[in-house]
Parts: sequence; structure tokens; C-alpha cells
Amino acid sequence: MARVTLQELTKVYDRNHAPAAERVSLEIGDEEFMVLLGPSGCGKTTTLRMIAGLESITSGTLSIDGAVMNQVPAKDRDIAMVFQSYALYPHMTVKQNLAFGLKRRSVDRQEVARRVAAVAEILELSPLLRRKPHALSGGQRQRVALGRAIVRDPKVFLFDEPLSNLDAALRVSTRSEIAALHRRLGATMIYVTHDQVEAMTLGTRICIMNGGKVMQVGRPLEVYHRPVNTFVAGFLGNPPMNLLPALVTDDVGGRTLAVGDSRLTLPSERMPPSAPGRQVTFGIRPENVALRAPADGKAVQVAGEVTQLEALGAETMVAVALPTVSAPITARIAGDAALAVGQRCTLHLDLAASRLFDEDGTALNPSHQGGGP
Amino acid sequence: MTVLKRSIVLLLLTGYTLFAAGPFLWAAMMSLRTTTEIHLDHFAFPDPIHWDKYPDAWFNSNYDTYFANSAQVVVAAVIIVTVIGAMAAHCLARYRFRYNRLIYFVLFSTIIFPPQITIISLFQIMVQYGLYNTKVGLVLVYVAIQLPLTIYILESFFARIPSDLFDAARVDGYSDWEIFWRVAFPIAVPAVATTIILNFILLWNEFLFAVVLITDEANRTLPLGIQRFIGDTQEDIGMIATGLMIAIIPVIVIYAFFSEKLIQGMTAGAVK
Repeated sequence: MARVTLQELTKVYDRNHAPAAERVSLEIGDEEFMVLLGPSGCGKTTTLRMIAGLESITSGTLSIDGAVMNQVPAKDRDIAMVFQSYALYPHMTVKQNLAFGLKRRSVDRQEVARRVAAVAEILELSPLLRRKPHALSGGQRQRVALGRAIVRDPKVFLFDEPLSNLDAALRVSTRSEIAALHRRLGATMIYVTHDQVEAMTLGTRICIMNGGKVMQVGRPLEVYHRPVNTFVAGFLGNPPMNLLPALVTDDVGGRTLAVGDSRLTLPSERMPPSAPGRQVTFGIRPENVALRAPADGKAVQVAGEVTQLEALGAETMVAVALPTVSAPITARIAGDAALAVGQRCTLHLDLAASRLFDEDGTALNPSHQGGGP
Repeated sequence: MTVLKRSIVLLLLTGYTLFAAGPFLWAAMMSLRTTTEIHLDHFAFPDPIHWDKYPDAWFNSNYDTYFANSAQVVVAAVIIVTVIGAMAAHCLARYRFRYNRLIYFVLFSTIIFPPQITIISLFQIMVQYGLYNTKVGLVLVYVAIQLPLTIYILESFFARIPSDLFDAARVDGYSDWEIFWRVAFPIAVPAVATTIILNFILLWNEFLFAVVLITDEANRTLPLGIQRFIGDTQEDIGMIATGLMIAIIPVIVIYAFFSEKLIQGMTAGAVK
């Protein structure tokens, strides 16, 4: 398998517009499952297509196993790609679709037949080999698309939002199939998605992109618990991290954080080394906001008025407006919440799990902060 | 659908079929009667049936030569138009290059010119290059006049083929040339079949360019051959009808062969 290195990869389509991908640097290790995650138009697909050789590279270097690939055509990169639209050849049967890539590589006929049969067996496509794509269901087509990639035994697998055309149930099962496939093949895989659940469950590491740039690269939980900026904090998580404007103040008891009318005293190691009067953003995940005081009693209380309730069965999302704070704060409560819209309530914030961001959105003391493992 | 609705539709369709097929049946009946018989009664059934008129037309009235000429010219022209047209259409639909749309517009705009405009200059060119009165010359002219429409029809079809298929083929290791022949062209077969039928029928019946550019008896195509039976003072209507029936056979065959391709939804299921 292979190591893929992106060094300041940039793609400019139109000189009058911002680059589609800008100085993207990424090191993808052998057998790693790297997920490129971001909203639409963030440059993740462009980056993937540059790796595939389907887009030219404006500047920067792409190498696979140390060999520079910038000028190597797609057909000689030894990569396989699974497309969002499946991209099955409609005039060929499933068997022909699977064998198409091998034929070009002058694999002998018996070997082609053996490999096609083996892949069909793995993906349970054996009874469908004679069918054409239009006679298959969405899930079956996606499995053929996967099979077409696997059968080639390439150095690198690329996935471009392969699950987004499937219905919810099929998406979950195909997701586990891909995860199982990665474990079985031990291949280097690069996976593009805008679905954070896919990213969190599949990725060995996640690369979060926005506006053509890499925002953060790290293990899923690391990125979740220690976002390096407000974009990552606001993008990951459903609902995302609560981001509230705050002011560093000096109080009688020492340095505190003013969030609306509330004064929060952060643990000393988490307090920003900023002078009083500095505007910052206070971030806390909804699961770190509770209606009841925790057993250790370390949480800080804030009071507000319930503005929205979303009962999801296993949990309830409670949005609470704090006095003089523009955005409401959302709490994720296990089970039902005995509350009503308009009712006043007290929230308990676990400040040990909170994050602080500078005015420009970057995390303050990123290495010390965060409530994750 | 109620019985009444069904009956009305059936009635309308029967009426239309009679209207469309009537002239054909009339010509078919006349093809089995002599000119004298036809003059006596225009609409009578053939009695006796003159089957011998077909071999007579074929062997004694030179229809074998006209038929062979038409077949050679039209088949060659249709093959060239189809191959070049499909390649050009694929190119215009798939590749982004400077002046792509301008080239497309120029090609397309030639469709609006009536053929009479070009015929004198075309005649001059053909004489100058020694192509006047040759089948090769006629083939080249036919290719030129049918190419824009062919590209126009195919371009819109090729443009609908999802580009992911081409990307997939590139990743699978195929060159642009191979992708055209192994992916794009097979998928475009329904549209290609449409242009083959269209071009075949139009060129098989083509008269204007043939009558201007071909005078040699040995190079005449079928429409010119049939015209030979129309004299200044009288016409051999019986033999014209027989010639027409001979001329129409390949059109029916080609339509029967390719029409199935027309209704095949080849791209169904390619992408969701």
C-alpha cells in the first residue's frame, strides 16, 4: 500500500476567483483512512481529484510513496476511485464493469475471472454479475462501484462522497461495509464527505477544510474535543459547540469571563493569558451543559429562559436564552426534560470541558484546553 | 381507459395509418401494373399481377447500377458522417477549450442555409478538383451537408453523459481515444442510431446535389435513375412505381433494424 503526501497543493480555476484549494498540506500514512470533511465548496473534492489526477495541480507537490505525481496521468497513478454517482458503465454488465479496469492493465483472462469472482463473492454480487446497472438497486450499484475499485488492488483508494445517494438505512450498512473493507484490505484510503457522522466513524484521522484551506487535521475525537478554531467547533457536532461572545474581566475573586450577565471563573490553567477587556469566544459542547448540578459540584450555574425544546426520544435538546447574550445556549439532556418553552431554568456548565477562542476565531492555549480524552 | 376512449383512439389511429400508408399502397399496386393498365384505371388492383416488372426494372432498366451506386455512396457517406460527427460531438460536449462554443455555433449555423445557395460554388469546386461526376465527390458533398445536423443531434446527447463516467474510465487506465470508443460511443448508440436512420433516409432520397453533380449514366444514384423514366412528353409511370418500390426497400430494412435501438434507454441506471 502507499503513503500519500500533499505539499502546499493549490488549485486555481479562475485567476479572478479565490483558489478552489489553497496550500493544502497533508501526510497520509500507509494503511491510513483519511477523511476530508467540510461544507460544500470547501475544496475537499478538488483536493481528491488532484490526488486522482483528474484535475491538474496549479502549484505544490503531490507524491505517492515518495514519487512525485504532479505530471503523472490518472491512468498511471495506480489509484482507484469510487464516485458519488457510482459512475457504472451503463452498457456493460456488472461483470464487465468489474473487469474493465483489469483488461486495460493486460491482466490475463483467467486472472481477471478469478479476481472478479473473488470480489463478487466478498460483496455478495455473484448472482448479479450478468445484470446491467439499470437493473440494480442503489445499494447494489454502490457495491459494484466499490468492487470495481477493490478488484484492481490499487495503491490508494479514493472515495468521493460515496454514500450520499443512498437512503439513511443503506448508508449505515454501507458505511460499516467500507469500514470492514478497510480493516480487511489494510489499504490507504482517502474519503471525502460532508457528513460528520461518516467522518467520525470511518476516519483514522480527519482533515477539516473550509474555503479551500485545511483547518485542522487530527484523530476524530481529538478534533471533536479540541477544535483549533471556531469554524471546526461550529462545524463538528450535532448540534455544534455553543459559541458565545465573552469578555475577559478582573473581578474581586480574580480573573473571570463575562458571558452576558454571568461571571464564569475558569480553572486557572484554562484562563487565557489575556489582559482584561479582551473580547473572546467562549465555547462549550451541548453535552457539557446540564440541567442538574454534577455530583462533584464543580459546574458553574447560569440562568436563562427556555426558547426551544427538541425531544428526540433518547435525548432532548434544550435551547436557553441567557440575558444579554445574542445566541441561545443549547444543552443536550438525556431522556425527557420536564420543561416548557418560556420557563426559566438554571444550566450547569462544565467549564473543564470548555474552549476559548480569540477574536479571530483561533483557539487560545489549544494544547491545554478541551474536555476530551 | 374506458372502451369508448379506446375506440376513439383506435379509430383515429386507423384513419392516420390509412392516410400515411395510402400513397405507399397505391405505389405498391402500380409497381405491379403496366403503364397502359394504370392509364386505363388509376386505382385498380393489379390484375394480372406483373411480378416480372421487378426483374425487368432491375436488369433491363439499369436499376441494378443505380441501386449499387446509391448503396455505395450513401453507406460510405453515412459511415463517415457518423464517425466524424460522433467524434466532433463528443469533443464539443466534453472538452473545455477556447472557442468551443464559437465552433459549435458556426457548425450549427450552416444548417439554416438552403442548399441552393451553395450549389453553384460547390459545382465549381468539384470541377476544379476533378470530383465532378464521381461517386467520391458525391460522398464528400453528402458528408459535408449532413455533418452539422449530425453533430447538433449528437452533441446534445453526449453532453448528457455524466462526466463521472469518463473520469472513472480515466482512473481505470484508459486514454481519451479509448474512452471515446469504449465508453462514450457505446452509450450514445441510441442517438447514433437516430442519426444513421436520419442520414440514410435523407441521403438515399437526395436528388438536388446528385442531379447537379452527376451526369454520367454509370454513376447515377436511384433518385436520378427514377427521374430517367420521366420524359419530356410522357412518363413510364409503371416503371417509376417499380423503381420507387425497389428504392424504398433499404429504407424499410434500415429502419426496422435500428428502430429498436432508438427506444432502448441505454443510460438508465448509469448514474443516480
